[in-house]
Amino acid sequence: MALTGRTALIAALGALVVGLLLPGLHGVLAVEVPLLLAILYDLIRAAPVRKLRFIRSGDTSVRLGEQASVTLLLTNPSGRTLRARLRDAWPPSSWSTGEALSASRHDVAVPPGERQRIRTVLTPTRRGDRHADRVTVRSYGPLGLAARQGSHSVPWIVRVLPAFTSRRHLPAKTARLRELDGRTSILTRGEGTEFDSLRAYIPGDDTRSIDWRATARQTTVAVRTWRPERDRRVLLVLDTSRTSAGRVGDAPRLDAAMDAALLLTALASRAGGHVDLLAYDRHVRASVRGRRAQDVLPAFVEAMANLEPELVEADARGLTATALKMARHRSLLVLFTGLEPAAVEEQLLPSLPQLTQRHTVLVASVADPLLEKMADARGTVDAVYEAAAAAKTQAERRHAADLLRRHGVLVVDATPNDLAPTLADAYLALKAAGRL
Amino acid sequence: MSTTATSLTGRQVWARARGLLTAATVLVLAALFMAAVRSGDQYAALDPRSPDDDGTRAAARVLADHGVDSRVVTTVDEAVAAAGPDTTLLVARPDDLDRTARAALADAAEDGGRTVLVAPGARAVHTLAKGVRPVDGPTAVEPATPDCAMPAAKRAGDAHMGGRRYDVQDERAEACYLRQELPSLVRVPASEGTGDTVLLGTSEPLRNDRLDQLGNASLTLQLLGSRPHLVWYLPSLSDSAPTGNGERGFFELIPNGWSWGALQLGVAALLTAVWRARRLGPLVPERLPVEVRASETTDGRARLYRQADARDRAADNLRAAARTRLASLVGLPTAQAHSPEALTSALAERAESDGMPDATRTHDLLFGPAPTDDASLVRLVDELDLIEARFTRAGAPTDPTTTPTKDKDRTT
Repeated sequence: MALTGRTALIAALGALVVGLLLPGLHGVLAVEVPLLLAILYDLIRAAPVRKLRFIRSGDTSVRLGEQASVTLLLTNPSGRTLRARLRDAWPPSSWSTGEALSASRHDVAVPPGERQRIRTVLTPTRRGDRHADRVTVRSYGPLGLAARQGSHSVPWIVRVLPAFTSRRHLPAKTARLRELDGRTSILTRGEGTEFDSLRAYIPGDDTRSIDWRATARQTTVAVRTWRPERDRRVLLVLDTSRTSAGRVGDAPRLDAAMDAALLLTALASRAGGHVDLLAYDRHVRASVRGRRAQDVLPAFVEAMANLEPELVEADARGLTATALKMARHRSLLVLFTGLEPAAVEEQLLPSLPQLTQRHTVLVASVADPLLEKMADARGTVDAVYEAAAAAKTQAERRHAADLLRRHGVLVVDATPNDLAPTLADAYLALKAAGRL
Repeated sequence: MSTTATSLTGRQVWARARGLLTAATVLVLAALFMAAVRSGDQYAALDPRSPDDDGTRAAARVLADHGVDSRVVTTVDEAVAAAGPDTTLLVARPDDLDRTARAALADAAEDGGRTVLVAPGARAVHTLAKGVRPVDGPTAVEPATPDCAMPAAKRAGDAHMGGRRYDVQDERAEACYLRQELPSLVRVPASEGTGDTVLLGTSEPLRNDRLDQLGNASLTLQLLGSRPHLVWYLPSLSDSAPTGNGERGFFELIPNGWSWGALQLGVAALLTAVWRARRLGPLVPERLPVEVRASETTDGRARLYRQADARDRAADNLRAAARTRLASLVGLPTAQAHSPEALTSALAERAESDGMPDATRTHDLLFGPAPTDDASLVRLVDELDLIEARFTRAGAPTDPTTTPTKDKDRTT
């Protein structure tokens, strides 16, 4: 049950009647009794909430930053018109701040036996699954004095996927990949190491690439052509431990790492590689392997949707073991982690040799642009101390990166906006050098 | 299709509320029972309906047996209206009356009836019994002898008297039951007519618990039974001065109906509260992510430096950063960036070719002692920036805006 402002207003106006016309208890009763009767009449005549039927349909997934639309089909099986205010409740992060109130409330009027579609638009502000809470209906009586109220549970899940903002870099990087692949330039030795085909010798070809055995079988001189390696394996390892929780800009490090991982996935799968994913802190948070090139990206996006940083120290030994188990063949291991001196020296370094022995290891780390700003701070005493602290942190990060490089690891350290393209460039460079 | 409703059905509500309702019913019944067992109206002292020790029901009964009818009034208006030649007016707490009420009573006393004042203090005596003055310091109530010519007291003999005592100046007054030479029972005849005013120093002789002792009953009967009607005036808190007296409170000035109007407004406020308090469904909980800025530790370190005035550390850090950048500017390997000889000579070499002065000064800046105060620390940083800017310009004369330090950490 619920009352409306109209009831309160009538009661307040009743004070005038009591004060001016009918002072005394009989006056109060003369206002209260009809009001009470009207409220009761309203409650009896309001359409029942319990009997309403709800069916949900609509989007089940949406990219972060885009809008999802979920529809409720409301059926009013009772013999009375439903005049109601309806709230389709979702968790607060389903809308940006201040928008929730208007987006979740709907005014409906459904004649007896009819149905109505109610559309709720969600603009989620964070990754992850959004579970619909309940649908609450406040059904007003014909006088608008009182209402019946009740809730229905109509489950629905909208999965909010990573934004993948770096996909704007994809065309440029793919073009570069095509150049490497030889589709836009002549195939000559040096562009790759994998045997592609034989073709007739053309003056100007490198004589070293002449295949004498094939020449002997044929009447013309044949040369071997080479192409960059295909069917290479890439394993992306997301470290979801405490170092990934720090916010850089307005998103955690993990989100920037995911963005870069998705661009690399798109690029590598176009280059004909097999890409697997592992998210790990103290145990496996997500793992995707053996997907074909067409559905690897959707599978990764799905797997990443519900990943959240955990406030635990990473278990580098377990991570190494799991990564080795997943990457049985020689692969490019891309490790998305932080360059925290303590974490690198105590955790990562001891277990690195196992990885570098068989695989090419690339460590991608999200740098904080704020750090550079702090290092450039000048003028006041506070600013200078800030700059000193930032310089110290930068030196430590550099030291950690140097340590890793000395162990034969490639290091990519870039700000969130630059990480994805820089990582893609590093991948292309490796491919061009034939080091995959 | 099964229902999706989550609200409780009437049956479920009943099942849940049953226990509570039972408990509440038991509580109410128990309260009613206790109230019934321990019932008994609460009466004020000297109330003729009160059977308590300090009541006067016994006296009222005895008086009724003698043909005196009692009635109780609680306002001064009623008391004044009831006064008359054949009426005894007993004022229980005359000191509680305000000035206007006392004046009204004094007027009423002139009507020829008897006014009995129980333990009146100075203010009451002043208006109601002229020619009598109360004496400070009440005495204990003890059996006392009449010691006077007043017939009522004489016939009653010894009685419990005491309490307040009075100094009588009026010669016509009769003063009895002297305690330390001063009377605690005084009868002052009215200036004209048959009326009189009786001052009782204490209410003890009237009370239920004392009435059957000594001559109390006799004294009470004679004092209160001299007229066929007896009015017990027990001033109450709501007793206001008679109307038309000028001094009226704010609430009396508001028309009568508006207190009911205010009640109705209260109901409206209640309904407003009910309207606003009802939420359209419960709040939705959500697991929130961790919100820690990645630069938190660096901020913390900066504040620690500041707090500890760690100028040496700060200068070391900044110098090391500057050395690293300078080394890359002059093409020195990073490993040698922190060796004074290598860096200084490399810088000097470059400086000479570009006509830059002061090799020793550069050395001091990059490897010198820690600054001694904050001002010199700030100055040091500015000078380091200056040197760096010079070499940057010298290193890249075609484009002075490029900062080759930016890309150094990017890739292998």
